[in-house]
Amino acid sequence: MWKVTVKGILTHKLRLALTGLAIVLGVTFISGTLVLTDTLHNTFTSLFGNVYQHVDFQVRSKAAFTSNSAGGGAVRTPVPESVAGTVRAVPGVAYAEGSVSGYAQFVAPDGKAISTGGAPTLGVSFDPNPELSSLRVVAGHAPGSTHEIAMDEGTATKYHFHVGERVAVLLTGRPQTFTLSGIVRFGSAENLAGATLAVFDLPTAQSVLGKVGQYDAIDVLATPGADKAAVERAIARALPPGTEVVTGQTVAQEQSNSINQGLSFFSTALLVFAFISLFVGGFTIFNTFSITVGQRTRELALLRIVGASRRQVFRSVLLEAAVLGVVASIVGLGLGVLAAIGLEALLKGFGITLPAGPLVFLPRTVVVALVVGIGVTVVSAISPARRAVAIPPVAALSDQHEEQGESSRRRIAVGGVIAAVGVAALVVGLSEQAIALVGIGAVAIFLGIGMLAPVVARPMASVLGRPLALFGISGRLGRENSMRSPRRTAQTSAALMVGLALVSTIAVFGASLSKSATSSVDEAISADYIITASASGTGGFSQSVAPAAAVKGAAAVSTVYGGEFEFDDVVSNLTAVSTEHLADTVILRVEQGSGAPALAAGDLLIDTTTAATKHLSVGSSVAVTFAKTGSSTMKVGGIFKPNALIGSYLVSDAYFLSHFDDPLPVAVLVRSAPGATGVGAALDRGLRSYPNLQVQTRAQFEQSQQAQVNQLLGLVYALLALAVVIALIGIVNTLMLSVFERTHEIGLLRAVGMRRRQVRAMIRSEAVILALFGAIIGVVIGTGLGVAFADSLQQQGITDLVIPVASLVVFLVLSGLLGLGAASWPARRAARLDVLAAISAE
Amino acid sequence: MPVVLDIGLDIGAGVARRAHTCSTWCLGAATMSGSALQQPGAEGQHHMALDETVAPAPVALAAARAVGLEKTYGKGDSAVHALAGITVEFGRGEFTAVMGPSGSGKSTLMHCMAGLDTPSAGATFVGDQEVSRLDEAGLTRLRRDRIGFVFQSFNLVPTLTARENILLPVDLAGAKVDEDWFDFLVGQLGIGDRLSHRPTEMSGGQQQRVACARALIRRPDLVFADEPTGNLDSNAAGEMLGFLRHSARELGQSIVMVTHDPRGAAYAGRVVFLADGTIVGDMSDPTAESVLEQMKQLGT
Repeated sequence: MWKVTVKGILTHKLRLALTGLAIVLGVTFISGTLVLTDTLHNTFTSLFGNVYQHVDFQVRSKAAFTSNSAGGGAVRTPVPESVAGTVRAVPGVAYAEGSVSGYAQFVAPDGKAISTGGAPTLGVSFDPNPELSSLRVVAGHAPGSTHEIAMDEGTATKYHFHVGERVAVLLTGRPQTFTLSGIVRFGSAENLAGATLAVFDLPTAQSVLGKVGQYDAIDVLATPGADKAAVERAIARALPPGTEVVTGQTVAQEQSNSINQGLSFFSTALLVFAFISLFVGGFTIFNTFSITVGQRTRELALLRIVGASRRQVFRSVLLEAAVLGVVASIVGLGLGVLAAIGLEALLKGFGITLPAGPLVFLPRTVVVALVVGIGVTVVSAISPARRAVAIPPVAALSDQHEEQGESSRRRIAVGGVIAAVGVAALVVGLSEQAIALVGIGAVAIFLGIGMLAPVVARPMASVLGRPLALFGISGRLGRENSMRSPRRTAQTSAALMVGLALVSTIAVFGASLSKSATSSVDEAISADYIITASASGTGGFSQSVAPAAAVKGAAAVSTVYGGEFEFDDVVSNLTAVSTEHLADTVILRVEQGSGAPALAAGDLLIDTTTAATKHLSVGSSVAVTFAKTGSSTMKVGGIFKPNALIGSYLVSDAYFLSHFDDPLPVAVLVRSAPGATGVGAALDRGLRSYPNLQVQTRAQFEQSQQAQVNQLLGLVYALLALAVVIALIGIVNTLMLSVFERTHEIGLLRAVGMRRRQVRAMIRSEAVILALFGAIIGVVIGTGLGVAFADSLQQQGITDLVIPVASLVVFLVLSGLLGLGAASWPARRAARLDVLAAISAE
Repeated sequence: MPVVLDIGLDIGAGVARRAHTCSTWCLGAATMSGSALQQPGAEGQHHMALDETVAPAPVALAAARAVGLEKTYGKGDSAVHALAGITVEFGRGEFTAVMGPSGSGKSTLMHCMAGLDTPSAGATFVGDQEVSRLDEAGLTRLRRDRIGFVFQSFNLVPTLTARENILLPVDLAGAKVDEDWFDFLVGQLGIGDRLSHRPTEMSGGQQQRVACARALIRRPDLVFADEPTGNLDSNAAGEMLGFLRHSARELGQSIVMVTHDPRGAAYAGRVVFLADGTIVGDMSDPTAESVLEQMKQLGT
């Protein structure tokens, strides 16, 4: 039996190659993601390991809480300079020096601010002790005065900076210009995970980064030969309350952990799309095996007659799937390494730069790729294998054998139940915010609908094919062919259905998100101009922007701050707005209590959603923790309607500034005076020295919000495209099998006078019907899913529900065209068939 | 052990008379010579047994038999009685042809006897094994180990070479190949130079000889041949039938062949006639003429 299977595989290489392609692509995606993230993980771990190799201890303040943001570590306050003296006095300490870091952004020679597209723009102090410094000077010398600065090699290379040049830097205070004294590397890397580094000597750093008299941390070297554990204990005893001492290894571990946490989010996101591709690939495998089992009915029945047991036939089909899975997975694994490089490039295209490092290929990658690839292939082949087993031996003797699948009534019942369970899981998952349940629900819906689809395949193919039938005999035959086997039509288009459903879900969700973003701006902001950082990832901009924005014609200027605090033991985002001009710039609809007066009194304002979920009312006292000031209680002074700009928690700017160490404005809102003209131009002029900022009217701001949503959508579409490609490969494969199966029939049509062009048109018609069938069902399901997702996130700010009909129609048209494209090869093959040979083919 | 009830048909007489049956495996026997492939002449007397009543032959001698076999398709008014109570015995080492017009039930009879189809009533046996009582696994073993099949459309596995096709039942059983027997069969059938060819690279006659070798490779109790010459030209058909006759006579192979060709039936040692699901005639040592004659009578 092995021989039969293996020979069969070798004979149908092309068919299997096409089938396997679906798995190859999915496995490529998975292994590529794993290789990429492992590589990055390794890069960062070794990077931090090297950097903190010689640091024995670090003294710092105790963490107030851990940041919520991706890759964010513990939130700490600086320690007073005096602590360094305390540490130096501890016996066994050879050296101790403080360091600071903060916001500093370079300005490129062309006057534009240098942004990183995600990574921070860091200003850091330089530690002259080569054993302790994480920075290595590779050109020039270290910054040694208040006028000097060093720059990371990555930025210097990219923007062609040379030692000795003047370079402008945006800071928390006013922008300043420095002389570039040197180029540095972070450990062995050109920069730190894509962040730009502005390096100052310690006093300058303290001054420009707003940390005069403070250190973020103190690096400590023990005396050679000292008992390090004893030294650590001695330091700990000497430290004032609220500070701690940890080893260098701990710091390295923490730093790489926090970056790897961000990485794992990134790799999970990619793996989700990889599994979507494999899921779609599974449909293709299932369909191909179903068809080939159908085509091999006689052969399989013959094997049964000459003595093959059911088990042998079952194993034969599964063995074929396993061999296919093994080969496809191995190929996918190899391509995955290439894909890792490709993914990196793709992300770079979207502005996410990652450090370079040697590729890491873990055994785990091989195991996961093989298990998942082979698993999906074999599982997809189980149902066709069971169908093969059900073929009675006597089928070898009759010329025609009706496929004896499970009855359609039973399939409808099972499919209906699975789909219903899927919907239930989805609904529960959405309302409980359980992502896994949502995923399971979606998978079940797809499987259930896939089983139900054959019921509507015939009538739908008939309707879809009607316009094609008008074009003549080719269209009519194509339509007939697609109606001939509703089950096959449905199975073939199932993969495309899943792909289109996901694309449509994203379209509906994205359109709603985009619209919500727009309308929420209108409902949140009354200012005419909004000043924000032009690139994300900068964390904020200088406090001196607001005074500069008070140009002629500006009636009200208000600064918006954002930061993290702990509310009721949960890390949350806190917003602050200048109390003075609150009413002129922000639309705050207070439901209970008061707005500006409460803020001025130092009270906390919360939105109605938070009030409802936490059972708070005006006058309630709540526990809050700030990194700088520690734990305290605040009074709820007012409750406002949800506001997209503010979020859930609002305090006055004065309160914010006194409770945060390094407060950076995230936006400045400007309301122009009635009748004032040229305010926009005046703002542009006034803020010329801040190239990192953009001045936008409210309409422009809305547009840029939409553009952000659309960029994200673009990335998701690109990742989903692979699933659609796999679905199309499935259609190519099915059409090839159909052409092969109908060789005799096509020969007959040619013999009675059908031209090659007409043969091609016939195959193409069928493909278009197949594609449209899958696309329509997919778009319908996807719209439903999208509405469900958007609806469930109403509390999170998706207030508007938009069904982008135009986009969905475009998807349908595109699907039809892609179907046409998928048909081109099979159609050509059919048209090229030798008439005589085709007729005599059996 | 079930007892065959005599219901008026001679089933044992022909068997009893086959004295030379099973005498030798005749490894050194003459290969198929031109003369051996000629139509049998009047060497055997034809023997009509329609009206004779003879005691049942010893059960042990039967290669296969059917008792009160009925097969009904459909229900109620639309029911079709493909087999309307057939009792028949096929002797060991006997080459029996089953003849009848289309729809007479010959294929259904064969399918039921081979366990490919389940009877509506009655029982079928291969040797002393009641086929209709076997479960799926038992039927598989029966087909694999005790029955060989030769079909009209050859039914070779297209991806396998001739040698692999012949050895397929051995492989499926996980058994060891009896190389001597394989070489003998291949030599007898004259396909030694075709063993590495795929079915598509062989003529119809060659394919059918490969199918024949596959049917015999497990030394089955019984070979069922379903219109084995239906797709062959007359030369190839003659060779094939000659080989089947030779297998029965010289190798003691029991063969049941369904055919509608009187000339083909004449190669058999016995012809059973079917019409409308019942046995209507049973002839020993047939000739083409006597078979044709019988068919004409049945046709009227």
